[in-house]
Amino acid sequence: MLVLPAIDILDGKCVRLTKGDYNAVRQYSDSPVEVAKDFEKQGAKFLHVVDLDGAKGGSVVNQGVIMDIVEAVDIPVQVGGGIRSFKDSKGYLDAGVSRVIFGTAAISDTNLIRKLVRSFGSDCIFVSLDFRDGKLAIEGWTEDSEQSTTKVLKTLLKMGVKTVVVTDVSRDGTLSGMDLSIFKKVIKFGFNVIAAGGVSSFKDLEVLRDLEFYGAISGKAIYEGRIDLASACGSPLAKRIIPCMDIDNGRVVKGTNFKNLRDAGDAVELAKVYDQMGADELVFLDITATVEQRKTLVELVSQISKNISIPFTVGGGIRSVCDIRDLLNAGADKISLGSIAISDPKIVTEASDEFGSQCIVISLDCKRDGNSWKLFTKGGREKTDLDAVEFASLMEKVDAGELLVNSLDRDGMKNGYDLELLTKISEVVNIPVIASSGAGCREDFLKAFDGGRADGALAASLFHYGEINIRELKRYLSDQKVTIRL
Amino acid sequence: MIAVIDYNAGNTASVCNALERIGQKFVVTSNPSEILSADKVIFPGVGNAKSAMKDLCAKGLDNVIRKIEAPFLGICLGLQLLARFSMEGDTDCLGIIDNDVKKFNADLKVPQIGWNKVMQCRSNGLFIGIPDESYFYFVNSYYLPVIKETEGKSIYGVSFSSVVRKNNFWATQFHPEKSGEVGLKLLSNFCELC
Repeated sequence: MLVLPAIDILDGKCVRLTKGDYNAVRQYSDSPVEVAKDFEKQGAKFLHVVDLDGAKGGSVVNQGVIMDIVEAVDIPVQVGGGIRSFKDSKGYLDAGVSRVIFGTAAISDTNLIRKLVRSFGSDCIFVSLDFRDGKLAIEGWTEDSEQSTTKVLKTLLKMGVKTVVVTDVSRDGTLSGMDLSIFKKVIKFGFNVIAAGGVSSFKDLEVLRDLEFYGAISGKAIYEGRIDLASACGSPLAKRIIPCMDIDNGRVVKGTNFKNLRDAGDAVELAKVYDQMGADELVFLDITATVEQRKTLVELVSQISKNISIPFTVGGGIRSVCDIRDLLNAGADKISLGSIAISDPKIVTEASDEFGSQCIVISLDCKRDGNSWKLFTKGGREKTDLDAVEFASLMEKVDAGELLVNSLDRDGMKNGYDLELLTKISEVVNIPVIASSGAGCREDFLKAFDGGRADGALAASLFHYGEINIRELKRYLSDQKVTIRL
Repeated sequence: MIAVIDYNAGNTASVCNALERIGQKFVVTSNPSEILSADKVIFPGVGNAKSAMKDLCAKGLDNVIRKIEAPFLGICLGLQLLARFSMEGDTDCLGIIDNDVKKFNADLKVPQIGWNKVMQCRSNGLFIGIPDESYFYFVNSYYLPVIKETEGKSIYGVSFSSVVRKNNFWATQFHPEKSGEVGLKLLSNFCELC
């Protein structure tokens, strides 16, 4: 369900009305553009903008401010208020507005709505239905309301309208909770319903989600802090903390200094310790060269799988679908592919088709080159001409499930993850991104999740040498309002 | 004895490892009489609904599962297959639960991969000793909406059933065998059910 924060514009300013009354105005900001940017920053996925002057006067008034909003944010925007003609709609849609919403008054012009839906598609043309005291409020209507509501809804369906914004005007801006019966009445007809009016708490959103509403608009509750946009819109998944172990011939190398560990090189023992410490996932990178030692890896994976109950990824030198199958059968949850994905991207599709994209991770070795990043292969020894960000996007297209982003510039430097690289990649892909290389302190993890938009953060020696304790790190991140599994 | 149902979408290894860690005896089997005489049945599942149903039907296990009277635990795809129908490959499923499985829409990353909270809607045997809103590990692109059989729910854009129960049929959308301590606790709770 989309949660849409509302920006209502009156006289160029951002306001809220109570029960649709233009005499009960409360101003929240001089700058609707700043409000829009702030909503985006808080995690909104879509904005609902209303031209109140337009709605009142029956023609578009605040188009200038609305276009400034569309320019200023990267998320889609839907607009309502005063839109009455084909020209108004086309103007907004051509200028980058994603959906236009027709007011109740426009319903009488069935030909116009039909033409709009045909020209722009039902995903771009929405109709707004205002209910007052449980009855559909249409100017000039005197017929029996139940009958007329049914008639209007059926006509809209016939015109090809799929999505309606249902506003319970009697509750709008009152923070008094919802009257579900109105929304349910409309959803019964088979519309995608966006509910507005009285959506005033997290609990209200939950109720609408359970009833499979398409969206919910909230204004005052968001402005007054009763609904936290970040948690209402963002991914509910916990950010992952991932220790990474380099394996040579079945043993952890680079060493560790855990006390109470019989043998710091024993991968299984170390994996058990991290599982108990609250790691969300583990990564094992095999740096072995020979075929004989590969067999040791499969045996090791099977031992690890018997001893831990969190997911783990295995990578390093994997060359074929057959290798992948052996490791998955031995108990690995995900397989990380490196050089082979560069030389033969087809293998990514093949592997995803066979095992599901959720278990195919692509590991990218990136190094800054002027204003961009180039991809390296063979464990970072060989430069390619490939742009790392473009390649990340290609990997999503060939059905990779997740990206592990290593920065060769930051590796071992302890001066933080390459946030710019992480942000660039997060912007172009819609699959999880794991930050790797460069963590030196707990703030670096926070930055990877906040600024870098990473879904997980990986580190090796920082954890192995106990410089950062995973439990303490997770408590710190949770205190900083990061979604974390404690 | 616990029977772990063996079929092409089973991925029984992780479940068996977890059962071993909590000290439970089990047998991995596709033999109908072994399944029907077991004290408990676990029905794991990863992969595609269509090919899973095809394999179950080919082995005659669809009818066997419907007849099970002992406590039964479906996991992940094992939950979705209990439904009437799945949008994944437009597949008719077992129909033990009279609702349909849908696909997540794409405003969040799909599949959902990672740790998500489970809100306990009712107290029940599976949740004993597990704090409300604990995190469990999920990997799924499809979901069962919140229905009357929902015992635990989670949010991923939409609300969906993360734990359901109908009579002796229990199921979790998450992987208890990959969900750390609380996951193992839930599995042992299942093994203790009468």
